[in-house]
Amino acid sequence: MSQAATTAGAAPAASVATSEQYNYAIIKRFAIAAVLWGVFGMAAGVWIASQLAFPFLNFDIAQITFGRFRPVHTTAVIFGFGGNALFATSYYVVQRTCQARLWSDSMASFTFYGWNLALVLGVITYMMGITQGREYAEFNWQIDLIILVVWVAYFMVFLMTLLRRNQPHIYVANWFFMSFILATALLHVFNNIQVPVGLFHPHSYSIFSGVQDAMTQWWYGHNAVGFFLTAAFLGMMYYFVPKQAGRPIYSYKLSIIHFWALVFLYMWVGAHHLHWTALPDWVSTLAATFSILLLLPSWGGMINGIMTLSGAWDKLRTDPIMLFLITALAFYGMSTFEGPMMSLKSVNALSHYTDWTVGHVHSGALGWVAMITFGSLYHLMPRLWNVNLYSLKLVYVHFFLATIGIVLYITAMWVAGIGQGLMLRAFDQYGNLAYTFTESVVFLHKPYVVRAIGGGFFLAGMLIMAFNIAMTVRTGIKAEAREAQAASAEARTA
Amino acid sequence: MMGLWEWITDMGNSKIVALLLFMGTFIGVVIFLFSNRRRAQKFETYRYIPLDDDDSHREPVARRDKTKSDEQ
Amino acid sequence: MKHESVETNAGLLIILTLAVISVGGLVEIVPLFYIDDTIEEVDGVRPYTPLEQRGRDIYVREGCYTCHSQMVRPFRDEMLRYGHYSLAAESQYDHPFQWGSKRTGPDLARVGGKYSNEWQVQHLIDPQSLVPESIMPGYPWLAETPLDYSDIDRRMIALKRVGVPYSLTDEEYEANVEKFGEEHARMFDIRDAEDNLIAQAQAENFDGNPGTITEMDAIVAYLQVLGTMVDFSEYDDGHFAEFR
Repeated sequence: MSQAATTAGAAPAASVATSEQYNYAIIKRFAIAAVLWGVFGMAAGVWIASQLAFPFLNFDIAQITFGRFRPVHTTAVIFGFGGNALFATSYYVVQRTCQARLWSDSMASFTFYGWNLALVLGVITYMMGITQGREYAEFNWQIDLIILVVWVAYFMVFLMTLLRRNQPHIYVANWFFMSFILATALLHVFNNIQVPVGLFHPHSYSIFSGVQDAMTQWWYGHNAVGFFLTAAFLGMMYYFVPKQAGRPIYSYKLSIIHFWALVFLYMWVGAHHLHWTALPDWVSTLAATFSILLLLPSWGGMINGIMTLSGAWDKLRTDPIMLFLITALAFYGMSTFEGPMMSLKSVNALSHYTDWTVGHVHSGALGWVAMITFGSLYHLMPRLWNVNLYSLKLVYVHFFLATIGIVLYITAMWVAGIGQGLMLRAFDQYGNLAYTFTESVVFLHKPYVVRAIGGGFFLAGMLIMAFNIAMTVRTGIKAEAREAQAASAEARTA
Repeated sequence: MMGLWEWITDMGNSKIVALLLFMGTFIGVVIFLFSNRRRAQKFETYRYIPLDDDDSHREPVARRDKTKSDEQ
Repeated sequence: MKHESVETNAGLLIILTLAVISVGGLVEIVPLFYIDDTIEEVDGVRPYTPLEQRGRDIYVREGCYTCHSQMVRPFRDEMLRYGHYSLAAESQYDHPFQWGSKRTGPDLARVGGKYSNEWQVQHLIDPQSLVPESIMPGYPWLAETPLDYSDIDRRMIALKRVGVPYSLTDEEYEANVEKFGEEHARMFDIRDAEDNLIAQAQAENFDGNPGTITEMDAIVAYLQVLGTMVDFSEYDDGHFAEFR
């Protein structure tokens, strides 16, 4: 805390000192990129959702058919929106909690250009039909290599900044970020071991096949959820919730238990995506068991976050940013309850292959990941540019649009998934199948329309956020220009 | 002793070995956190790290664009 | 060890975290490569012919796996709808696997032979013309685009490197004759890959257009072989249950 005193003493020297003390320029870039990718990725999502409701929207154009465009959506939201937001917040949090400037401006800048280059190339190549055919890892092998280099640079920047810290203890948010960086590296490397057709050939073949390939892919797939979309965003939570509330986290001991339990348990559960398949039974059972256990740390973390507000619940009435953060935690609790339930083999027999899974993913992705990101970005943006947020009212509007969107989306997918699951396993009195597959597709039409509308609501909220942020940044840039002018005038008179 | 080692290195037992190892470590972490009252208290002081880094000059009341117009 | 030294030492934190996150994956994945009954012994499963493999590439390219699974589960309704549940052995030459995770359309693991070539071609060009309620996109360009098979030998060499038993030498060819029979073994010889591909496309004329070899030829060839390799009438009812 003695270090804190020294920095606090320097703080009133205002923005000039802070921008020298910390590298904010890189965070600004990542934060804006996150918003742009969010708009694009969610628009792509609404588009493919509409294609499922109204198939003529495929227009017989190869580049935008559902099969090629769905990876565009998933990549843009997970790695574009989520990834850029994680870069921005992790760089911010590590600097603020270590009270040290980010290591190497040029390396940090390289991670920005490298990461976004890989994403843009990814989107273009998917539409051209170049893909590895592995969910959430569709990048072809050359882009995989770019990502690997960027990731090593990211690891270096983060680690070296930790080593430069002026604070003896490494704050728990940074542990979550570090585990996310390490796990993502591990997953990326092992899930993308490929033999290319040629050095300049975009195509390659996975070194694994069949059952081993499936296990590797879903070990990756679920841990992308566990470490990219959960652990890293928990890092965000452990900083921005206390910060926005102006109160310390509920229990630090709980956060340590939360960390180790989560990191340990997540890596076991991927096989629950392969229940009842040709995967050996023992792997499935093991994964289901660990999935149930995972409920404990997940809820421990949720309670830790929500109880931070204990005694200050009135903040929820006056602060829409807090509303985003706490609702995100509520959705985190909900989807980490739904997940273990769906990993039970008996439930999975019905839910697997249906839209229930899609709904579950989105209750996590929209409810938890996007909401916590919105809250954090609304907290972050005004501080980066040192201005007030353009409009708090619009934050409320965004919040309600997003919430309505999520509720529509999830309920539509429950109806679609459970309905289709029940139809497909129904028998008539003679023991024949009661419905054809096509009849279940007809049934899905209405839920698909509602889902697309829900997505539309969520996208509308995202657009309002983009506008709000743009106006905020504009004020910030103007203020900076004014300040620079004033400074030069002062210099002349002196 | 040799028999035990063979059991541990057998691939078929890897799940149980790993489970025991990590369950043990995890319980160790929990015991470590709660066994010593002073240590526990020290941990709780780390909660304040995000709040230590003072940015009160950035709180809404004292933001730059406002204070500037106030001065004029 | 003191936990305190963990949080104050970044290096130690990294090593411990790595150790902890590695275990789950290692314990579940590594044994799959060593335990013999992960993949059951079964007759009939063979690598894809050059034309079928190119069809598979197109299947991956168009992202069919985003809507179709290739994994029949051991439930009564799935057996009635799709056929015998899938075996691990049946996808042992699938690089990458295409089991899928979502059935917006039906499972395709055993679609081979269920419909005629003409039906498949028409359905791929305009699905709604055969199934009005279908929400599948049309793929008319497959019938118009000539198949690029200039790199078929390089593709097969890459697949050979990852373990598919295509042959490059007489010795490997003889081994394939032993294992898959002469007719198939000839198809797996990389040295004749292009000729084999053209011959199969012209002999079976999947797209009804004998003049050119199109991408449609390839993908229909692939769809028609799916799930047909194992003759389940050869095995007793409970035989495969032992492996689950």
